[in-house]
Amino acid sequence: MASETVTPAPRILLRRQGMWRLGLQRLRRNRSGMLGLSLVAFVVLVAITCHWLAPYDPNDQSAALGFGTSKGPALLHLLGTDRLGYDILSRLVYGAPTALAVGIGAMMIASLIGVTIGGIAGYCGGMVDELLMRFTEFLLVLPVFLVILAVVRLFGIMVVGSWLERVPDLNLITIILLLGCFGWPSIARITRAEFLRLRHAEFVEAARCIGTRQRDIVLRHILPNALPSIIVVVALGVGGAVLAEAMISFLGFGDPNSISWGQLLYFNYETMRIAPWATLAPGAAIFITVLGFNLLADGLSDAFNPRLRQ
Amino acid sequence: MNGVARFIARRLAFGVVLVAGVSAIVFFLVNAIGNPIAMLIAGQPNATEEQINQLTAYYHLDEPAWQRYLHWLGNLAHLDFGTSITYNEPVSDMLLVWGSETLKIQIPAILIAFFMAIAIATHASMRQYSRTDFSIMAGALLGQSLPAFLTGLILILVFAYTLGIFPSYGAYSTRNPLLGSPLLDALWHMVLPVSMLAYFNTATLTLLLRANLVEVLRHDYIMAARASGLPERRIVFGHALRNAIIPVLTYLGILFGLMLATAPVTETVFTWPGLGFLYINAIQQLDYPVIMGVSVVIAVMLVLTTLATDIAYVFIDPRIRLD
Repeated sequence: MASETVTPAPRILLRRQGMWRLGLQRLRRNRSGMLGLSLVAFVVLVAITCHWLAPYDPNDQSAALGFGTSKGPALLHLLGTDRLGYDILSRLVYGAPTALAVGIGAMMIASLIGVTIGGIAGYCGGMVDELLMRFTEFLLVLPVFLVILAVVRLFGIMVVGSWLERVPDLNLITIILLLGCFGWPSIARITRAEFLRLRHAEFVEAARCIGTRQRDIVLRHILPNALPSIIVVVALGVGGAVLAEAMISFLGFGDPNSISWGQLLYFNYETMRIAPWATLAPGAAIFITVLGFNLLADGLSDAFNPRLRQ
Repeated sequence: MNGVARFIARRLAFGVVLVAGVSAIVFFLVNAIGNPIAMLIAGQPNATEEQINQLTAYYHLDEPAWQRYLHWLGNLAHLDFGTSITYNEPVSDMLLVWGSETLKIQIPAILIAFFMAIAIATHASMRQYSRTDFSIMAGALLGQSLPAFLTGLILILVFAYTLGIFPSYGAYSTRNPLLGSPLLDALWHMVLPVSMLAYFNTATLTLLLRANLVEVLRHDYIMAARASGLPERRIVFGHALRNAIIPVLTYLGILFGLMLATAPVTETVFTWPGLGFLYINAIQQLDYPVIMGVSVVIAVMLVLTTLATDIAYVFIDPRIRLD
């Protein structure tokens, strides 16, 4: 019978056309999205292999004795040395894991808070929604960057003499926590919007009708469908967090013991006149990372919401 | 009009809550570290216990924090921000002086960006997918992704250090103003900081406006205008721009807020004597009346900007009603 040969076809088609697979296929065709993905992949690769890539130890200042400080790029030091005698390439390479730790760490915290708050607001609606969204709006208008600067500085004074002082990279951890705790409003907003859209979608109603538990409806039916839009905002946020850490460090509020691009800028921008490479190199690194995440977010947004594009 | 008045009243109430919230957060943060006077003076070998106590009493630091916060709020009602610990000047005067320096670079930057974005985006949208369009888009994408302070550092490197045309720091020459004219001198110092901010703003607004124009130009009424034989220039400026520009106007408010919030960074790059620079110094020196003053002023500016954009919305787009 003819139907026997026809029936399997739609099943295969259905399996292939998952939301993720379709989205990734569209991303692959998006030139700027792929550029973003490769920039991000490059930074990740450098971060993973930093131990082998770096020609010198990042804390090696011995160039100050022989090669000289603030010396231009040469075969011995490919990107030159900075005013403290550090090899810039080594510091740059070791800055990659720091930047990613800040970006991804901050956004993990932010998405945990944002998805929870936005999800509750969108799913419950009513007074809860109103209350949570007012709070979100409050944080969204708050000059967060100024507050973070103040907290970093004041917290640094507060811990003096306490057991916290002995925690390694405490300042960096503080910055990550702060960026996370203040970075969630945009994630909460998009999650709420998606939950509102999906709350009464037909497949959710269907799940409700067959008696699916509340928890399963939220976690298995609504959340996975809301995820693409959330991921776009998170990818944008990673770039934003990397930039924010660079700016905090650039102002001198960063972690003096950690190796980050912002710190490199902070230590060297005052000698930009005699050693411009020491400023331009970390600047370029920040730019590449931020651009990568921005383009990737843009590409993902086009890939998962093709109707917006048309 | 009643609806508009109610809307403004509600937004203002939200603004008051926001400002009170910001001031409370910052106040209790600053107080969490204890007595700043003792901390600042502790390094001075000549300071006696008596002097510390005297200064502590002078700044009311011996009272409990909540009492001082209420006291501070009461003073704020008649615009008294207290006295700076490090400058020994009234904070309200300092805010006016340093604040006007901040606005001096931010307002021109946003105005220039607005008009440049209109010129560039209309130019691009009339030549969609041409080489010009693509290079404009690439330049705008670059400007949007290049952090403003990096643009600033590159501008300094090229125009101040290498070419020596513009000064690399400050708002005024300490002596010998340019051509003997203080006004020219001030403008000369403004060029690089304004360019830095304007590049980022222009890029962002151009991308937004071009996307909107491209979308609006597909509508039926544009087709009708084209069919009636209007030249493309008049279609874009007379019909499309009016509708495409509305989201751009709201974005002006967002950009202004972003510039204010990142003022510490941009003003550090150019050692610009503005609010952001003042804020950084105040944090470093624990000058808490100044920290409070700057954060409140910036919060008030943010609230007023959002309010202004919301109201501007209604006048431009009659389809939007406030309620």
